[in-house]
Amino acid sequence: MDFKDYYSALGVARDASDDDIRKAYRKLARKYHPDVSKEADADAKMRDINEARDVLQDKEKRAAYDQLADHVARGGSPDGGFRQPPPGWDEGFEFHRGPGQGPADHADFSEFFSSIFGSRGGAGAGRGGQRAPYRERGEDHHAAIEISLEDALHGAERQLSLRAQEIDDQGRPHLVNRTLDVKIPAGVRPGQYIRLAGQGLPGHGGEPAGDLYLEVRIAPHRLYRIEGHDLYMTLPVTPTEAALGAQVTVPTPTGGHVDVTVPKGARNGMKLRLKERGLPGKTPGHLYLLLEIALPPANTDAARAAYEQLAKAVPFNPRQHLGA
Amino acid sequence: MRATTTTLLESSPLTVRELARAVGAEDQWVMRLVEVEILHVDSPTEPPERWHFRSADLQRALAARRLERDFGANLDTAALILDLQSELRRLRALMEAHGLA
Repeated sequence: MDFKDYYSALGVARDASDDDIRKAYRKLARKYHPDVSKEADADAKMRDINEARDVLQDKEKRAAYDQLADHVARGGSPDGGFRQPPPGWDEGFEFHRGPGQGPADHADFSEFFSSIFGSRGGAGAGRGGQRAPYRERGEDHHAAIEISLEDALHGAERQLSLRAQEIDDQGRPHLVNRTLDVKIPAGVRPGQYIRLAGQGLPGHGGEPAGDLYLEVRIAPHRLYRIEGHDLYMTLPVTPTEAALGAQVTVPTPTGGHVDVTVPKGARNGMKLRLKERGLPGKTPGHLYLLLEIALPPANTDAARAAYEQLAKAVPFNPRQHLGA
Repeated sequence: MRATTTTLLESSPLTVRELARAVGAEDQWVMRLVEVEILHVDSPTEPPERWHFRSADLQRALAARRLERDFGANLDTAALILDLQSELRRLRALMEAHGLA
């Protein structure tokens, strides 16, 4: 794990003011926002600047990070890499969520961030028994889970490993690895959330733990693309099939095959709908087949002769509308 | 540690309080999102205790929270940005589905 330089991520000096940090963040967030950026690594850059902002705009986190950076600069790790913060690196610091900093903000943060601040980015409440006892429900926690389209269609059980911060008997935070069994319901769609009750952060003073929200992401599929409840697949057909109509066999997302009628005179880009063969659910989606006319290669004498014969038999000018 | 209860928000929607907790906000903030139509409820005239929110609502509430915090956007501005963003994403997904992107 590399030590992350949050100051260079935002392009600011070590003594940058809060205002400098805010301005630098906003400028870079506009540049790398995944909805507008043309940069290939926009997602990764956005994650880095979000993470840097989260730390540097929080007084306590920034002070603790600076102390850790000094330790690393003094040769804290022989191979230049970064494994774990040294014991006691955060002595005297407590991290709190600032206003508007929801626990959700840390779903995508790096392993480096988690190793320092825990996967929720805040901790330390009640440390060392210095604070008066209080009662508070545990915070909700967010993470993402990527599944295959097949898992989304059929449902599945998946194990999810998360690194989270817990408070030990002495009131000190430490990182633990947790493995959770997650049931993926059939028909789940990208952007939906699965809620795991009681799997968020522990409560204080006998109050219940928070919940864990998992955002579902579906990995790109070789054949199918997802649009809402619907699935789209490109279906190549020959010019003969398109011109004369045909019955062709196509695979379905659930693993079977189905015969589809390509209508006579079908055109490139024509959309055929297989009703309710998309994502399952109360309102099942459809499977759309986008016709793509594939030309047989003219790489043999017979094929060339056939093309020439077709040209003679069917005089056809596809550029007529251009006036050519 | 094992998960015992797994629910999809579509089948078990969130209350105002639960949504507020999930985004680290107060109940009033969620009500304000309904007022500016970042969130839509079936019957806005019903008391907030009877409102329900699903995955898309949680996603929009989280996005609004980030716009407010990261750019100092007020909620009316955030509402407009979110509408434009969802239209952009819809069109991009459609282009991708048609093999145009």
